[in-house]
Amino acid sequence: MRRSWIPVVILWIAYTVLIVWATAQFTWFPKEWAREAAVVDEAMLLLQYLAAPVMALVLAVMTWSVIGWRTEGGAHREDAAPVRTNKIVVTTWLVVTSALAMYVLINPGFVGLAEIRGEPSSDYVISLQGQQFFWEVTYPNGATAVDELVIPAEARVRYDVISTDVLHSFWIPAFRIKIDALPGITTTAYATAEGEGSFEDDVNLRIQCAELCGAGHANMSLPVRVVSDAEWNEYIEVLADSEPDGEAGNE
Amino acid sequence: MKYLVRAVVLGIIGYAVGVGLTMAIRGGGPTDEVAVVMGYILALVGWLAGIGGIEAFGRQWAGKSVEVSTDRGWRRYFEFSVDHKVIGIQYGVTLIAVLLIGGISAMIMRIELASPGVGIVDLDDFNKIVSMHGILMVAVAVAGIIGAFGNYIIPIQIGAQDMAFPRLNAIGFWLVPPVAIALLMSPLLGAFNAGWTSYAPLSVTNESGQILFNMAIVTFGMSSILGGINIITTVITMRAPGMTWGRLPIFTWAGLATSVLSFAVTQFFAAAVILVTMDRVAGTNFFQPEVGSSLLYEHIFWFYSHPAVYIMVLPGFGVILEVVTTFARKPLFAYKAVVVSLFAIVGLSVVVWAHHMFTSGMANFLHGPFMIITEAISIPTGVIFLGILGTLWQGKLWFRTPLVIAFGWLFNFTIGGITGIFLADVATDIHLHDTYFVVAHFHYTIVGGSIFALLAAVFYWFPKITGRMYNEKAGSIFGIWVTVFFNLTFIPLFWAGMNGMNRRIGDYPEVFEGANKFASVSALILGTSFLLFVGNLLYSAIWGPKVGPNPWNARTLEWMIPSPPPEHNFTSQPVVIGNPYAYGVKGSVHAYFPDDDNPRDIGEGGTSDEQGVLV
Repeated sequence: MRRSWIPVVILWIAYTVLIVWATAQFTWFPKEWAREAAVVDEAMLLLQYLAAPVMALVLAVMTWSVIGWRTEGGAHREDAAPVRTNKIVVTTWLVVTSALAMYVLINPGFVGLAEIRGEPSSDYVISLQGQQFFWEVTYPNGATAVDELVIPAEARVRYDVISTDVLHSFWIPAFRIKIDALPGITTTAYATAEGEGSFEDDVNLRIQCAELCGAGHANMSLPVRVVSDAEWNEYIEVLADSEPDGEAGNE
Repeated sequence: MKYLVRAVVLGIIGYAVGVGLTMAIRGGGPTDEVAVVMGYILALVGWLAGIGGIEAFGRQWAGKSVEVSTDRGWRRYFEFSVDHKVIGIQYGVTLIAVLLIGGISAMIMRIELASPGVGIVDLDDFNKIVSMHGILMVAVAVAGIIGAFGNYIIPIQIGAQDMAFPRLNAIGFWLVPPVAIALLMSPLLGAFNAGWTSYAPLSVTNESGQILFNMAIVTFGMSSILGGINIITTVITMRAPGMTWGRLPIFTWAGLATSVLSFAVTQFFAAAVILVTMDRVAGTNFFQPEVGSSLLYEHIFWFYSHPAVYIMVLPGFGVILEVVTTFARKPLFAYKAVVVSLFAIVGLSVVVWAHHMFTSGMANFLHGPFMIITEAISIPTGVIFLGILGTLWQGKLWFRTPLVIAFGWLFNFTIGGITGIFLADVATDIHLHDTYFVVAHFHYTIVGGSIFALLAAVFYWFPKITGRMYNEKAGSIFGIWVTVFFNLTFIPLFWAGMNGMNRRIGDYPEVFEGANKFASVSALILGTSFLLFVGNLLYSAIWGPKVGPNPWNARTLEWMIPSPPPEHNFTSQPVVIGNPYAYGVKGSVHAYFPDDDNPRDIGEGGTSDEQGVLV
């Protein structure tokens, strides 16, 4: 009996190392602009590392199939050994895959879920109203805007999101948070922005509608600007003052 | 041919009567949505009656004898034929044509997406093309393998002469052309722009093409359900003597598992679109915010549409497992565990739907349970992989086109499956949902898993169906070409999604141009590979070298009859006396024909030697 398991295991290890190395080299995530983003990116990275040996195993078997198990003779080639099953292999496979599934379920599964939700408390509440095809922001003091979303850094903000017509979705790629905007029901997302910057610095500092809502869906976005707490308070005060009756937006 | 003409005529008459009656009763115009619905329903009845329903069913209801066509020429492919092999080819050709139309829509999309800004189509038209591409391809993925090869191959593999319900089988197929017609005519009413997922309230307030989409879904659903009933009944009741459950070929097991699912859940998609139709024309408020719920649509829709992806991929598993055993000349590894896993997947797939809704605003407490079960479904899926890898292990591999494509499948579906874990995880899914990461994931699983398997099935059973061999060089080149360029198209899209590009947009921030251009160029090259695919098959079907019953030297029953098969498959009753995958066991036989004088000389199409192999 040919010792196929030796070359396959060697290939398996080699591919795993290759994929792990490539994962470590190639940071393909956008910049993290919020605490939540770090949770998501960490989870992504962990899953990539865990996926490496899985992909590597399939690649190893495929590779050795081509190198070691190709047989001449066409339709008249001899039969292979009549191996129907192998209790040890099947049991081990089931145990290992179940353990892997269970591990991933706990971390980053439930751990990630808890971390990204965090506490149901917030420093400020900002309301977002989505409609075809723009976003209207309402700040805690009642001021509204439709040209940009300004957020205080290092503060935990609760976003109350609603739609006036069809489904939309409130997504800030730089923060990695997303929650759909439903007509008639307010939904909620939390984020703690870290670091000051704006859409000019990073195109992912924007609200992007992430639920198909009609012809204008592609362009239903709003630039985001993260400023210091003091600056933010000043901004929303000025915004409230500049509105004629403190109600509707300036557009 | 005259039946086809009659079907079209009666269909048009039915449509006119439906619209006319509606206008007479309630007033309004011929393009009012109520009129379109009534017209469509009567058009469908007229079409089915015309194509052969009158002879096959109407006569019986009137107390007369049934008349079905016994034509043997090429005309029967355009008629109401009750022969499962004819129906299988009808499904196959129709769905490959739909695949190519869907592919053209994809090419238009990728040309538009090659650069930011508005190019060859405007943003709304782009969304309409996206929606059309989605539903056409979903239809091919759902029905391609099971409709074409499930119908053609399963009865032969179990030793039967046809399906349990041959007339119903024909109805199932003839429901499909109206689906294509309704979808492709929807632009006349403004097309539909809400994606194939058609979420309310957008699908309640958009243009009237949505109505034709809804009608098409209900029609296609009926076809799926009828096909499911047929396969389940056939496999349970019509197996040849000696064909115990433990000797059932794996493709038939996969078809049975698929049929249980399609029979049980398809109606939920129909229900969802019927409720949308009612909100549009009957004044109901299922999905209106004040009294109804847009979330309700999502739950009903995904309750079908998640199992639907398993309806797409389970037949694919069956094909790949079948191909691998044949081309490795080895028993299917862990056959029992694989069969159990097929049904574990069926069971689990109906309780994971809300993993499509993690960001939908549904109650938080639902996240955990759906994440758990979604994670769990990876375990039986892993056992399927064990079956494939274990069969390849130390096999005697013969790399013909079906195996080449199976290798492409293996690579693609592994990536598809792994990236699914990223989406099963709530924390990562919150960011990735509705981005190009998801688009890449489902193309890897659906194209990589279902369509690649369809391609492998086509090459594997082509010699059996046509009696001729395709060109192997062209086939292998196609297999490699389609795999390489499929991967080059979709890998950049994982990056784009992670980096902030969402779905269903005709325009995007400039930073995504590089990835999109690369994907578009690769996609166009991928598209051209299908010219080679179709060309090879057409040429070979007419001028390819003739083959005998068993060019692959395989063991399942379809390889023990002539290529192409005679009218009722078997000239005498097959009796199964052993396992279909007992390669390597000297003297093992799967089945024989006790009533034949010379059980292995099965005539027409070529002679065979002792093992039934072409000499």
